[in-house]
Amino acid sequence: MKKDIYIFNGGKLVRKDNTLLFESVEGKKYIPVNNVESIYIFGEVDINKSLLEFLCTNEIVLHFYNYYEYYIGSFYPRECLNSGFVTLRQSEFYIDYNKRLFIAKQFIDGSVKNIIQVLRYYNSRSADLSQEIEEILQMLDSLSSQETIEQAMAIEGNIREKYYKCFNKIINDKAFTFTSRTKRPPKDKINSLISFGNSMLYTIVLSQIYQTNLDPRIGYLHTTNNRRFSLNLDLAEIFKPIIVDRTIFSVINKKIITAKDFNKDLGGIILKDEGRMKFVKEFNDKLETTIKHPSLENKVSYKRLIRLEAYKLQKHITEGEVYEPFIARW
Amino acid sequence: MEVNGTLIWYYNICKREVWLMSRNIVPDQHNENIDLGKFLHENSFSRKKKEISFGSVKFDVILDTKDKLVIGETKKSSKYEAASKWQMMFYLKTLKDAGINAEGVMLYPEEKRRDEVLLDDTSIQTLNNMILDINSIIEKEEPPKAEKCKYCKNCGYLEYCYA
Ligand code: SF4
Repeated sequence: MKKDIYIFNGGKLVRKDNTLLFESVEGKKYIPVNNVESIYIFGEVDINKSLLEFLCTNEIVLHFYNYYEYYIGSFYPRECLNSGFVTLRQSEFYIDYNKRLFIAKQFIDGSVKNIIQVLRYYNSRSADLSQEIEEILQMLDSLSSQETIEQAMAIEGNIREKYYKCFNKIINDKAFTFTSRTKRPPKDKINSLISFGNSMLYTIVLSQIYQTNLDPRIGYLHTTNNRRFSLNLDLAEIFKPIIVDRTIFSVINKKIITAKDFNKDLGGIILKDEGRMKFVKEFNDKLETTIKHPSLENKVSYKRLIRLEAYKLQKHITEGEVYEPFIARW
Repeated sequence: MEVNGTLIWYYNICKREVWLMSRNIVPDQHNENIDLGKFLHENSFSRKKKEISFGSVKFDVILDTKDKLVIGETKKSSKYEAASKWQMMFYLKTLKDAGINAEGVMLYPEEKRRDEVLLDDTSIQTLNNMILDINSIIEKEEPPKAEKCKYCKNCGYLEYCYA
């Protein structure tokens, strides 16, 4: 299985014959190109055109992060898996409002059901969340009768607000109290973790979409206007609770990340480099965790599940196989 | 779409693959466990000087003592025997249509086996029917549904089909 490479140090990433070479003050590190799926760059890294061409031939996606805003952008090489047929179908399902609405609602439905799974897990352990679960279930009931994507999104917004409030019962560190969701810049530590985790997930999903015939520019829930990529935001909704939020709970409750891992800057609270490194490690462990898949005989990792989710969507639009989002079973 | 040797090969493995390939929905390229990738790889780079090439597939040319043209294809195992044989038949027919009479031989060195492939009227008829059927599969709006078969396990579409 190919690996994701995360670069936190400053240095220079170059092509060296048929491998990648990362040079930094700590020395040289060769990375065999065949083992790489995507590269995540956090540090100040110099790159050149010959490297980009090399990554392009090897179909490797490059994601860039900076200190203040977290995600800045991706180098998404020209599509290697191009199917005009799939692209046409994907557009058709966007333009036909009812078809689009159906998919958008399935994403929300999957996202909320996974939220409930997460809450149920903590409800059975330490926190009393039965009241909140009940309320969220009721709000979810009204999703199917919504006639526009905006209305459906509003319901999701309300549910998410209620859900984030539950974080205070799940997290046992007062330094991470949640008040309200703030993004640019995040105003407190928990928001900072949510923003960082979500942006990590968006890029992971983008890399998985790259391995399918889907075009990441055509999303169904998030509008395609003004954004280069949106389908990754859609698919990420389903996985946020089970991948990002669970990682957040574990880094805080296990005291892997503490208040010391943050800086106050430009009116916002930013996760320091070392904190990011610790988060990425936990996040990556989560992605590599395998679970038993109901219809494939072998076990699959969470990262693989994201790819499978993209395949399911692709089949929905090309084979009339109704898309059912992945729901975690615990 | 013009039917080629690769589609004949797929047709004899799984009809769903024919449709997927026709839409440029290609199998997972990065999964090392798949035979399909190996198959394409095995056939896509030149091994010897004397070879004959059909698109991405290249055959060794073997000249018989009686100066008859024989094309040979070496395979690691006979797992995809039927598919390979029909693919070979297809090329023999292509040569025949060009006025060249040839015979084929499938070589399985690891199994110490050698199978002759001869094109006769019945096999030409069977090939023609396959070509018709391939065209009708491709014309359909949707692919044939996935059906578990002995080839699924090593197929690059496995995750796509059963996700
Ligand atoms: S996985 Fe099975 S059904 Fe799907 S294309 Fe391959 S052989 Fe056909």
